[in-house]
Amino acid sequence: MAIMMPASDQAVLDRRDKIVAALRAIVPGEGVIDSAAEMLPYESDGLMAYRQPPMVVVLPDTTEQVSQVLKYCSEQGIKVVPRGSGTSLSGGALPLADGVLLGLGKFKRIREIDFDNRVVVTEPGVTNLAISQAVAHAGFYYAPDPSSQIACSIGGNVAENSGGVHCLKYGMTTNNVLGCEIVLMSGEILKIGGKCAENAGYDLMGIITGSEGLLGVITEITVRILQKPETARALMVGFAEVEAAGECVARIIGAGIIPGGMEMMDKPAIHAAEAFVHAGYPLDVEALLIIELDGPSVEVDELITRVETIAKGCGSVTLQISTSEMERNLFWAGRKAAFPAVGRISPDYLCMDGTIPRGALPKALARIRELSEKYGLGVANVFHAGDGNLHPLILYDANKPGEMDRAEAFGADILRCCVELGGVLTGEHGVGIEKRDLMPEMFTEIDLNQQQRLKCAFDAQGLLNPGKVFPTLHRCAELGRVHVHGGKLAFPELPRF
Amino acid sequence: MDTLKVRDAKDVEQVVQAAIASEQPIEIVGHGSKRQIGQPIATNALLDLSALNAVSSYEPNELIITVQAGAPLADVQSLIDSKNQQFAFEPIDTSMLLGVSGSGTIGGMIGAGLAGPRRIKAGGARDHLLGAHAVSGFGDSFKTGGKVVKNVTGYDLCKLLTGSWGTLAVMTEVTLKVMPKPESERTLMLRSLDDLTANRAMTAALGSPFDVSGAAHLPNSAFRPASGALADLGSRSPGSQAQAVTLVRLEGIAASVADRAGSLSKTLASFGAVEILQDAASAAVWRAIRDIEPFAASGSLGAWPVWRIVCPPASGGALGQALARDTGGDVIYDWGGGLIWAALPPRPDAQAALLRQRVEAAGGHAMLIRASELVRSNVDVFHPQPGGLASLSERVRHSFDPKTILNRGRLTLGSRS
Repeated sequence: MAIMMPASDQAVLDRRDKIVAALRAIVPGEGVIDSAAEMLPYESDGLMAYRQPPMVVVLPDTTEQVSQVLKYCSEQGIKVVPRGSGTSLSGGALPLADGVLLGLGKFKRIREIDFDNRVVVTEPGVTNLAISQAVAHAGFYYAPDPSSQIACSIGGNVAENSGGVHCLKYGMTTNNVLGCEIVLMSGEILKIGGKCAENAGYDLMGIITGSEGLLGVITEITVRILQKPETARALMVGFAEVEAAGECVARIIGAGIIPGGMEMMDKPAIHAAEAFVHAGYPLDVEALLIIELDGPSVEVDELITRVETIAKGCGSVTLQISTSEMERNLFWAGRKAAFPAVGRISPDYLCMDGTIPRGALPKALARIRELSEKYGLGVANVFHAGDGNLHPLILYDANKPGEMDRAEAFGADILRCCVELGGVLTGEHGVGIEKRDLMPEMFTEIDLNQQQRLKCAFDAQGLLNPGKVFPTLHRCAELGRVHVHGGKLAFPELPRF
Repeated sequence: MDTLKVRDAKDVEQVVQAAIASEQPIEIVGHGSKRQIGQPIATNALLDLSALNAVSSYEPNELIITVQAGAPLADVQSLIDSKNQQFAFEPIDTSMLLGVSGSGTIGGMIGAGLAGPRRIKAGGARDHLLGAHAVSGFGDSFKTGGKVVKNVTGYDLCKLLTGSWGTLAVMTEVTLKVMPKPESERTLMLRSLDDLTANRAMTAALGSPFDVSGAAHLPNSAFRPASGALADLGSRSPGSQAQAVTLVRLEGIAASVADRAGSLSKTLASFGAVEILQDAASAAVWRAIRDIEPFAASGSLGAWPVWRIVCPPASGGALGQALARDTGGDVIYDWGGGLIWAALPPRPDAQAALLRQRVEAAGGHAMLIRASELVRSNVDVFHPQPGGLASLSERVRHSFDPKTILNRGRLTLGSRS
């Protein structure tokens, strides 16, 4: 394993039987799993290259149990790793050998649907899609739609601030959650926000969203729901050059059009997808754009025409406009199946997740091609073109010695390139363990210290999900020290008025 | 009183470091347009950011702008307006409410985090701050976020900085999301609804698929002091008795707006005849609502304290009606009922206890956005939080500013020293 996890605490491991018994006293019956065979499903999440059985798995089904488990672990100095559905692509739920894996899978109930206030109050183990399904009869849906929405839990979505293909127009998770119930590592239960548009005091909901399970364990969430747009239509546009596709994206945005979704695939991704789902993708283009417009039909019809004009002006070589739901879904089928499609042409692949300024796309793709030659590994690119979020899929074979290491080094170089181009390490998959050691590429030690001080405000012992996000662990006391620069100075020489 | 006019981020670091060394708190100001909001604070030094006013970069096609914190909001707004873009959350200009001049700086806009009518559709200031450079109470410059619209790298400290009223860090440069301005807008107007019925009409509009971007209700009392854009709105004819109006805004391309206006008029038909306000007239009305014109400092309620109440939107009508009745005050509703502005007859305590009891019972919270210094010295300006949350918030504040150097006491009554 290339990523080092925090050293195991032998004293904790020696007490394993006692710990299991104590946890059983809190969560009776089948809620505590300690046999190696039964813990197997929990040893990995969506980042399957990394595996680690936990010390024990606990599956509480009430907030009170979560609170007691955390309180006990806090008192006993035991690490805890929270887990939703285990679909994280960055290793956010990778267990620790000396840690309790706290699964929220039993929190499966939608607690309240409030159409008048346009919110759903739900337990964290409910899947993303299940929320939309629960309100569909009244024309509502929950907007963020990560590709894993059939399986991923809303609790995990909050922890990772998940995105999806529609987030350019409708925002990420953080823009669609209003409140939560959270249990701190101490066992303290707090209610943050609720049905109001915004909360009093500091925006704690905002900081918890995307905190990757390091600040607390979420036991209830209030999400915003929206009315479904009346209709949606898509264009599928092929270009002979990536640059022209990039220009087309820029001109659409420049014309003041915010599509519901705007996706790009490069040639290897188009070929893999077409071979898999037979969506009718053109095979002789270098880049394919899928642009979806949604809203009232008069609006969609007009915007389709405007986008068509822009695309032609950018030299599109193929252009199709969906005329039915079936056709629209077919356009999307290849894109939505891009990851498994690539999985068919390569024994293994690594999915990267950098974001770049949209304008830098041709540069980024050129650099990725160079790196692909340098490392001798193939790559297919799918790209949330509207918001600059790039998903290069690096093809490798884990059974060939050294290939996984090469693939990881290739991936790290891609992310460094994203940062160099003015972008960031991760647009929606999270840092987890995957990009943890790359954090210094984007942040200084001071930047990271400030983030870790915030962690101390929630979890002073550093017991909740340690080893994720931050490359170096610091003690809170050390981080909290204020350095007085230059003794008792007067204010410096500045213009005074 | 020292005013320290910083020239760059390095100066800010030095000022904060010196303040730490001498254990002297400092007050952070841009143009000072919102200094009358919050618990009164007293420091020996002002950190003046107004000279940090450059636009670092503006890339309309990337939908982002990076500006220094002291840049005047009005200037930045005209710059992005020249490219047909806007801050979609409609930042409030509090100058009319507070009786000061100028709408302040970008730093103040983020520090206050006050969003206007479009918040129900586009989100608040928190949803548009993508990245920031700031100096913490440790005297260190740090950055958070980035210059792209989609980013989950590290904790999202931007959310905390927004609405922190300068108590966590001194922002020096921020990157904001900008959005295209809608090509046209129309407002549907219903007359003479009581607050409860109006609340139901707004709920129906917001629960429709017609993409409403503003939903406000002005009871007839709101027209008593009104001048400007709202003056003629309440009367069908000059001199006639003002009536309540309920307003629902649609924005987008012209054909879409017209189509949705037709459909939504049918949805709202059971609430009465729908009148339509077109582009310029519609824009003027929403600007007046955004800036709480009926409670302007120069108007007849200028001496009344004003509360900003946020509550679950469907409870707004009942809450506002009860507050107006029990306090003798005036209310106006925005955000479909989720935001209530309440001007109350002056009392030494601004009727805080009564108001907060009602607001909490409805699941909301309230901030005293306008009151005399004397009143603000004796009343919790920001909504007090329950024990556990208050402790966590204090630990969060401490993690940025352990010596309480920055805007000491602004958020919490009795924490001035």
